[in-house]
Amino acid sequence: MRRPFVFAAATLLAACLLWPGWVGAFQSEGTVRIGGMWPLSGPAAFFGKAAHGLASLAVDEINEAGGLVVEGKRVKLALHAQDEACNAEQGLAVVKRLATVDKVIFSLGPGCSSVAEPVFGTLQKKLGDASDSGLQLLFFTDIATKFGLAKLSPWVFRNTPDEPAMYDFVVKYLKEKHPDLKTVMVSYESDFAHSAATWNLAVKPALERHKHHQIVEVVDWRWLDNEFGAQVTRLRKANADVYFSLTHTPSTCPSMLELKRQRVKPKMVIGITSLAGTEVLQQCPDVAAGIIAPSNFAPITPRAKQVADKAWERYKADSNIHSVPAYENVHLMKGLIEKAAIKNTEDTLLADRRKLRDQLAKVGTFQGVVGKITMRPEDDPVKPRDVDKDMILVQIKAAKWDVFWAPEHLKRN
Amino acid sequence: MGTALLDGTEQLINGLMYGCFYALVGGGFTLLFGVLRRFNLAYGSTIMAGAYAGLIPVYLFKAPVLVLFVTTIVVSVLVGLLVEFCCFRFLRKGHELAPLMTTIGMLIVIDETIVHLTDAVGLKYPAPFGDESLALGPFLIRPDYLAILVVSIACFSAIFWLMHRTRFGRAMRAVAERPEAAQILGVSVRRVNVLTFVLTSAMAGIIGFFAAVSVGSARPEMAAWLTGKGLVVMVLGGLGSFPGAILGGLALGVLEFEAVWFLGSSYRDILAFSILFLILMVRPGGLLGSRPA
Amino acid sequence: MEYYIAIASIIGIHAMLGLSVYLVAISGQMSFGQQGFFALGAYLAGMSTALWGLHLLPALALGVVVAAVVGLLVGFPALRVRGLYLAIATFGFGEIVRLAFLNVRYTRRIGDRVVGPNASEGFRHVRYIYDRGITPLEYLGIILLALAVVVVLFFVLERSKLGATLRAVEEDEVAASMVGINVTRAKVFGFTAAAGVAGLAGGLFVHYSSYIDHDMVALPLAIASVTYPIFGGLGSFVGPLLGAVVLVGLTESLRALHDAREIIYGALIILTMLFRPRGLVDEALVLRVKGWLRPRAVRRPAPAP
Repeated sequence: MRRPFVFAAATLLAACLLWPGWVGAFQSEGTVRIGGMWPLSGPAAFFGKAAHGLASLAVDEINEAGGLVVEGKRVKLALHAQDEACNAEQGLAVVKRLATVDKVIFSLGPGCSSVAEPVFGTLQKKLGDASDSGLQLLFFTDIATKFGLAKLSPWVFRNTPDEPAMYDFVVKYLKEKHPDLKTVMVSYESDFAHSAATWNLAVKPALERHKHHQIVEVVDWRWLDNEFGAQVTRLRKANADVYFSLTHTPSTCPSMLELKRQRVKPKMVIGITSLAGTEVLQQCPDVAAGIIAPSNFAPITPRAKQVADKAWERYKADSNIHSVPAYENVHLMKGLIEKAAIKNTEDTLLADRRKLRDQLAKVGTFQGVVGKITMRPEDDPVKPRDVDKDMILVQIKAAKWDVFWAPEHLKRN
Repeated sequence: MGTALLDGTEQLINGLMYGCFYALVGGGFTLLFGVLRRFNLAYGSTIMAGAYAGLIPVYLFKAPVLVLFVTTIVVSVLVGLLVEFCCFRFLRKGHELAPLMTTIGMLIVIDETIVHLTDAVGLKYPAPFGDESLALGPFLIRPDYLAILVVSIACFSAIFWLMHRTRFGRAMRAVAERPEAAQILGVSVRRVNVLTFVLTSAMAGIIGFFAAVSVGSARPEMAAWLTGKGLVVMVLGGLGSFPGAILGGLALGVLEFEAVWFLGSSYRDILAFSILFLILMVRPGGLLGSRPA
Repeated sequence: MEYYIAIASIIGIHAMLGLSVYLVAISGQMSFGQQGFFALGAYLAGMSTALWGLHLLPALALGVVVAAVVGLLVGFPALRVRGLYLAIATFGFGEIVRLAFLNVRYTRRIGDRVVGPNASEGFRHVRYIYDRGITPLEYLGIILLALAVVVVLFFVLERSKLGATLRAVEEDEVAASMVGINVTRAKVFGFTAAAGVAGLAGGLFVHYSSYIDHDMVALPLAIASVTYPIFGGLGSFVGPLLGAVVLVGLTESLRALHDAREIIYGALIILTMLFRPRGLVDEALVLRVKGWLRPRAVRRPAPAP
């Protein structure tokens, strides 16, 4: 007699456990809802949690200063963060949740390009096209740097590093300031699109364009490999002056350790942009000492230092090249939301998103944490809806990132 | 041609030494499978948990490397016992696939706990064997690989001695060959199972220490990587055959090192899996398969 | 609403993947490589619509056929081994497929875009359903229709001679062969059909997500595909369906737990397996349900002599 009862109770518990989402009332709390989908668990959690923290800090600052003005009233910002876990299936579900359950006006993220590709690829491709069943949600991305993502939809804008320009500068800098360094060897991760693309679409073209350096060896490995002996032996034999280690921390650390073991000492080591954060300082500060990386962020101005300190203090969030854009984006969007004159009701959500999108498309130049940022227009032939930012070169010294080179106008701040 | 031969030989030497490491991992899987007749997919996570936990005394009181090593083994044993309790103890005979799933669940719990506590960032490991390769003639030999070679030989010898010269070893082999008969003859199968977990978990601690030392850090990707290699080595050598695991590990090590040198890392894994496939077609019981396919 | 449609779409596709593993499992083999056929189906169906201008149905069919043919070619040698050997061999196959696509570059310029599988960059712009204005709800209908077709085929299979043959092979291969069952043919058939089903799931997925790359068909998908039937139960095809519903549902519903989400997920799997070691829908439950459904007349005890 007890069996059916247990069965029914188990079914009820299962039903409650499986119910995927409780819908909150819209706008009754008097907020403007913004979203963020980041990898808060899984292999990229470090970057996702950092961006989440920086975004939360920006939201806090805005709300503490009184919030924003919508329809003549003061309302607060509410950040709805969702975990995409660096997984495409979860990303596709979560974006719908942000768009239709949390009903956000725009979203930050995603963090992983394997999530960004399907999510952006399923957005509406032509504005106002009724025959396109893609999703209409505005994205202002902070982390995902894969080449060409912003071209996937007019709803995607990005505040991410411009690697071709950054590495072009690096090669030019090397040519002008260290002309005696002529030979170059390169390593990249063949299964990590960002790394392979940094080599093929940023560094290699830059080296070919400036015609100063000779590429003597190119090796590759998998980004989660554990053994680098063969590739480093090739590097040792090449013995070039400059070593472009275009690899992420998980393979940079063990490969640099192997370089040390085999006594390979290039005169200069240039890293990938994503290296410029605390991940590498925690994992291998000694073998990575001296690596120079192009970055958009370092605590070199008082404001930058303040942001980095506050983000760490409040949210234990690391301020780096990928997370600080989240902070910049939220602050910019606050002003744009007010300028867009949104109505902030459930029925006008799509129209509000469109108004905000149009504001972002013509924003031009705005202030970032370290320097100025310029959003390229939609008809830009090279990288529409991507940004140009001031760049700096940072170097690992004494287990910290130091400024190696910064443009004059930033140093004066 | 001369360089190719020299390079090939250097990779052979490195491959054999690293292969000892693979042999240890495969051996751990094999011992467990041999006695319990079940797969512990949480073994890789046990190894990783030990490797991470070893850093706790280093962070707390700057403990020396020996303490790290011992802590790794102790924690691995504790985690291994937890795995035995949660995933194996209450599953009766006849439920063959259930331990597969419970250990997958355990793998998720352990891995996610570590990721949660460390934000998926690798943590630096010391280099107790020095950080410069030794020059032996024309070859560069890694000191930590030499250490792995020495420790593996010690481990394998210890296990052979245990299995063939002690009462416990006899009990283990009895349970592995004929569990019912062993039970009738008074062998406590439960005790043998638990002690097998202790033994393989202690091995896991040693494996975790050397894996982290050779990479330079404890990383969240360790578990999946070790599980993959361990299973391949176990299958290559022949399920349940400990000597087979040693042979399989060495073979895999040499294959990988030579493949990366001559073909590049893109083809290493494709080649390894293709050869594995071929070997299984030709010898369905693995290289030294003691059980019929 | 769209959120639940998205969840249901993933459930539908993953349930099909789970059914693919199930089909191999009921003939006694555990395949850890169905994600390889999933990848084949996804890439081929994606190329069909994005590069060669085919419509959805022929594209999906091509994905199924290619996956099945590869399944046939792989099945013959692979099924010579059993148990963990087969599991590793099939996982190895899955990895070979994944790594092959990591190295394949086959692109064409269509309009202003570069379309096609592009090694580590992946394969984007598979926009067939979005460009034609097929709404998510309509596409969910397509997914569920495909799933229904697969389920009906399974239903028929379970009742047919072939189904009995497969289960006989699972029970005891030697006995089955003594009764005249061509064991190899039965196993290979199961494996080929399972490959086709996985290929269909892949084709449906790539059009849902508009993108596929090597990272999406790696070890995590292998583990997920095996989890659905083992957790859901191997007693009947309802098992993997229920497994997909519960596990994908849990992934979404546990979001409220934030950081502890994955840990609770793993713990729930362990607990469930301890209480139901043969899965949710195991053979015992199936027998009991069949007993309920049998007409009462049959169950009346025989009259006393």
